[in-house]
Amino acid sequence: MTTEGPSSSSSCNLAILDSLTDDSIRQIHDSYTGFCATTATLLTGAGDLSVGPEFIAHVHSLCHHGLHSLVRDHFLKSLEEIFEQNGASKFWRHFDAYTKFALLSKNQPPICESEVQEVLCKALEEISLEKQYQEKCLLMLSHALQSYKDQMSEGRHPSDAERSHLFSRYQLLVSSVLMASLPRHFPEILHWYFKGRLEELSTIMGGEFDDDESQDKDEMDLDEKSKISYRTGEMDIDECSHQGRFLENNKLVKNIGKVVRDLRSLGFTSMTEDAYSSAIFLLLKAKVHDLAGDDYRSSVLESIKGWIQAVPLQFFRALLAYLGDSVSYDSPSSGLKSPLASHPSSCYPGIDTPSQGLVRWQLRLEYFAYETLQDLRIAKLFEIIVDYPDSSPAIEDLKQCLEYTGQHSKLVESFISALQYRLLTAGASTNDILHQYVSTIKALRTIDPAGVFLEAVGEPIRDYLRGRKDTIKCIVTMLTDGTGGNPNVSGNAGDSLLEELNRDEESQENTGVDDDFITDDKQAWINAACWEPDPVEADPSKGSRNRRKVDILGMIVGIIGSKDQLVNEYRVMLAEKLLNKFDYDIDSEIRTLELLKIHFGESSMQKCEIMLNDLIDSKRTNSNIKATIAQTPLTGAEPGESAVSMDILDATIISSNFWPPIQDENLNVPEPVDNLLSDYAKRFNEIKTPRKLLWKKNLGTVKLELQFEDRAVQFTVAPVHAAIIMQFQDQTSWTSKNLAAAIGLPVDVLNRRINFWISKGILAESLGADSNDNVFTLMEGMVETNKNGGNSGSCEEILVGDDEGERSVASVEDQIRKEMTIYEKFIMGMLTNFGNMALDRIHNTLKMFCVADPPYDKSLQQLQSFLSGLVSEEKLELRDGMYFMKK
Amino acid sequence: MATITGYTETAQGYQDNTNVAVAVAPKHPNPPAKTVDTQSVLKRLQSELMALMMSGESGISAFPEEDNIFCWKGTIAGSKDTVFEGTEYKMSLSFPNDYPFKAPKVKFETGCFHPNVDVYGNICLDILQDKWSSAYDVRTILLSIQSLLGEPNISSPLNTQAAQLWSNQEEYRKMVEKLYKPPTAA
Repeated sequence: MTTEGPSSSSSCNLAILDSLTDDSIRQIHDSYTGFCATTATLLTGAGDLSVGPEFIAHVHSLCHHGLHSLVRDHFLKSLEEIFEQNGASKFWRHFDAYTKFALLSKNQPPICESEVQEVLCKALEEISLEKQYQEKCLLMLSHALQSYKDQMSEGRHPSDAERSHLFSRYQLLVSSVLMASLPRHFPEILHWYFKGRLEELSTIMGGEFDDDESQDKDEMDLDEKSKISYRTGEMDIDECSHQGRFLENNKLVKNIGKVVRDLRSLGFTSMTEDAYSSAIFLLLKAKVHDLAGDDYRSSVLESIKGWIQAVPLQFFRALLAYLGDSVSYDSPSSGLKSPLASHPSSCYPGIDTPSQGLVRWQLRLEYFAYETLQDLRIAKLFEIIVDYPDSSPAIEDLKQCLEYTGQHSKLVESFISALQYRLLTAGASTNDILHQYVSTIKALRTIDPAGVFLEAVGEPIRDYLRGRKDTIKCIVTMLTDGTGGNPNVSGNAGDSLLEELNRDEESQENTGVDDDFITDDKQAWINAACWEPDPVEADPSKGSRNRRKVDILGMIVGIIGSKDQLVNEYRVMLAEKLLNKFDYDIDSEIRTLELLKIHFGESSMQKCEIMLNDLIDSKRTNSNIKATIAQTPLTGAEPGESAVSMDILDATIISSNFWPPIQDENLNVPEPVDNLLSDYAKRFNEIKTPRKLLWKKNLGTVKLELQFEDRAVQFTVAPVHAAIIMQFQDQTSWTSKNLAAAIGLPVDVLNRRINFWISKGILAESLGADSNDNVFTLMEGMVETNKNGGNSGSCEEILVGDDEGERSVASVEDQIRKEMTIYEKFIMGMLTNFGNMALDRIHNTLKMFCVADPPYDKSLQQLQSFLSGLVSEEKLELRDGMYFMKK
Repeated sequence: MATITGYTETAQGYQDNTNVAVAVAPKHPNPPAKTVDTQSVLKRLQSELMALMMSGESGISAFPEEDNIFCWKGTIAGSKDTVFEGTEYKMSLSFPNDYPFKAPKVKFETGCFHPNVDVYGNICLDILQDKWSSAYDVRTILLSIQSLLGEPNISSPLNTQAAQLWSNQEEYRKMVEKLYKPPTAA
């Protein structure tokens, strides 16, 4: 023992060793044994400080011999041993029962939550008592050392140094002992504890929060005093009202505060913080999910913010207020500095300005809330956009969240994959895809007015739609009538592109038809002034258009590639519509055309305009011709022979050069009608002399009434149907060959067309003598009608459904196919002579030499798809990028 | 400068056709005529191409080379029931600037063992020389050559060996097969 003292003391020098006498050695020995004994009594004796003076004397005597460090080390070592025995192991023993928690999954709430609370509190109390006692002993030692030092140096040394040194060593000792023996499940227990407490708190606060929210806001406005100018303005909520409420929860918070303090004093600062922050975040997440849910019709962001304000922030406020300055932040174990720990000085209660720590917590929590909500919304973005106009609050929320978090790329990625999985599949109708696309444009326009992300998201949709054949048709239908061409789908007002046309009218007026052309300097200046840089997330490879206007029509047209195709399709549709009109009422068509003109320019809509003008002219010509009848009754045609008068005929006179190619089908109309037509043509020739009328007898519509013995049925049908049924007026039964000859149709066409009357129950088909020559008979009694229709025939007026192939105008696809057959011949020709050719050489050669009637104007992609069609028809072969003739 | 004057003079020509045309002719004999001709030649060749493509004639085909509509590549298949059945010959057609007033130069690119075709591919065919008429076109030329294959003119041969062998059709067929090299993809 004797040798240990000097050697372990760094402060004594060897000279002292020489000066040691037997006396002093004995003295040292005595003092040391006394010191050890008293130390032991002091530390183990529960609260018995009676040995104090004796202890001090021994310390003094040892110090006298220069053995300060021996004293300190021994004391601390004893403290450590005793703490390990009495404190730590006892402390941990409390939690032994919960070892299995660690094995249980985190999601499973322990059944005995309140028990955990109790145990934790009790354990903490016990260990804190122990620690307090030890600290008292330590204090005694420090006093003893201090007083000795004071005697020697007459109080010149700062008194705190010794003590704080001792205490920091002690603190380190305590936490290292605890950490060394830390059971694995302890963080778990802490987590559960805080979770339980916070939930408790949140139910208390939450209930009041709902009641008081509006009240809070009023008070906030009224109470000017509390309106300290804090940036976000969210901390203004009157402290007093919360404080009042807090009295009720004071006990709870105090409890928590005490636990936190105790834990900190044991060196669990960061572990504690981890535990309660994770508990709070869990709670917040649950709250966000709870509030947001699957309802997109209301904005939840504000109430989430309110909740953050009301529950977790109040909790922090109270906690900080309770902890105040009692925390030792220099605790070495808090390696990870938390927002709370880094600004201890400002954590004083009763000061209105929110402490910086609190602000940090608020920002952290809000960010977390934004992120959670954003993730939630992004995951459901597809559904949100499906009910777009109704779900705009959710979109608005998402927008705010994204502004905060800046995670737009997350949105783009997740939304694109949702689109690909749910929308861009063969099962989805083109109409639905287009509607969703429009909704997407509208919704994303709110989130990102610059359209950068929209571009990224729209890309796959556009690509997909390009591959669909009916895309153009659907777009045109959407443009012209809101229902999107599908009567089953209730045309949502928001979906109509026509409405979009209307809206664009205003915005187009000041920018002019040509987008890139700025007419006057003022406009240029305005545009320059409102320039905004692209968001940082913008893909630089896409290039920044200086004025990126999110224009729905533009984006829709962008799917097709060129407006010409769209205009062409529109022309075909318009022609179809106009040709089937009964009256000359084209007001709605004129309106649509005017709107389209604004968007696509006058020149591209010129042909359509001529078509409409044809209708207007027809109306006039028609009435003029009828007027001539009144003046000179019937010059050419014999009167009385048929009862058909000119009144029942309305002609549409078209300038066929400007109309899409019209399907020509030979048709022998019944003689009275034929006479009528030629008479009409004659009169037309008289009025407009050099011009002659050429009838397209297969076009138009016929209203007719079939009179049977017992009933009359009205129909609106195509001329061919009328011609067929007319033949049955005099002869009730026809073989298909004879009938076809009478009408002037090929037999197969007749068989197709006559199905209309068979399905109506007017005609019946039976096998004739020849298997190819069926017999059609008129069903006079119409008994069969019920079998087919069920609805009574007399009040039936049906417009003939346009079966495929029954259209009056060649569709755009037909036109393209026709054009392509020319190209096919050219391609065959060049491949025969050149052997093999690559795609672009074919393309260039076609461009150069196929200049005749329809000049070659296809894109490389169109050519490629056409060529691959030829390959699949086994006319061509593709090898190593070269096309060959299939031998 | 020349073209400008040429242009105004043509404009005048519309007003008073006969007089001015006579007066101008000695001054600028060629340039105006030539430019007008090139245009019409182009048009003519283009319409011939279109007609040929749309005719869908089997066994003959031709197409202009990549950048020059005056140079065409042609393909002729030997007709059925002749010794040339199953063979295919590449041709080259080059049109003069004053086509169709002069015949195009037509040659075999693939070697052809034929009395009226020499080893260089030159063809002896009256309509390509003195009997040329502007009424002929690419299609008729190719058809004539196709029929020439089956009905050679033995009296004025370019390839005497072939002319002598012609009488023996079986041997001739063997010769054709022996010498025939199918055109490789160009």
